[in-house]
Amino acid sequence: MKEVMAIVRQNKVNITKNALEKADFPAFTCRKVLGRGKQAGQEMLIQPNFKTSEETVQFYGQISHTQNLIPKRVFTLVVRDDEVQKAVNAIMEVNSTGNTGDGKIFVLPISEAIRVRDGKEQMDSESY
Amino acid sequence: MLLIRSIIRPEKVGVVLQELLAEGYPAVTKMDVYGRGKQKGVKVGNVYYDEIPKEMLLMVVNDEDKDNVIRIIMRYARTGEKGAFGDGRIFVSPVEEAYTISNKKAGL
Repeated sequence: MKEVMAIVRQNKVNITKNALEKADFPAFTCRKVLGRGKQAGQEMLIQPNFKTSEETVQFYGQISHTQNLIPKRVFTLVVRDDEVQKAVNAIMEVNSTGNTGDGKIFVLPISEAIRVRDGKEQMDSESY
Repeated sequence: MLLIRSIIRPEKVGVVLQELLAEGYPAVTKMDVYGRGKQKGVKVGNVYYDEIPKEMLLMVVNDEDKDNVIRIIMRYARTGEKGAFGDGRIFVSPVEEAYTISNKKAGL
């Protein structure tokens, strides 16, 4: 079993959900996170087109307050070993715009998975 | 590659992120979490508060950067010289693969 952790843009949540469902991964968890990447959150500073100086001051004030962190969504799903590539491709397909800030996907090992309902351990051959 | 999950005090996030950036580790994901530790939360009078707000920082780094990142977090997330209960924890787990979505390349 592997955990696929994908950090994606906020506006891509719906199409990612649909893509995962289509690729036969109905089970996942999604949550709101803040973060920055290799560019250290600088993409947010590109051309803030403000009319008044107050707006500009307010904007930069907010940025420094949040330490240049950009809001993102992180998807976590646990998949079988042989399905990792399929899940990664499904996420990559819909999220890739070719720009920085599209996000990252990490694959982590999972040693055990237990269903709370009946306490049964899930085998790698089963679906989740 | 390793995933470093650190649970730290919310008020320490600013300085930790700043120092990580200064040392050349810009990439961080942060999330709000609530939890308790070995001390069973905070006891005020007869009441235990066991859902203490913390921030979790997620970082995926190369194996050789692990010690450096942990050192930075340990140093700046600590309260006072000796540290105090509630300063948080750091967990390290292996990461097998990483992909950048924008160029579909494998690796960090």
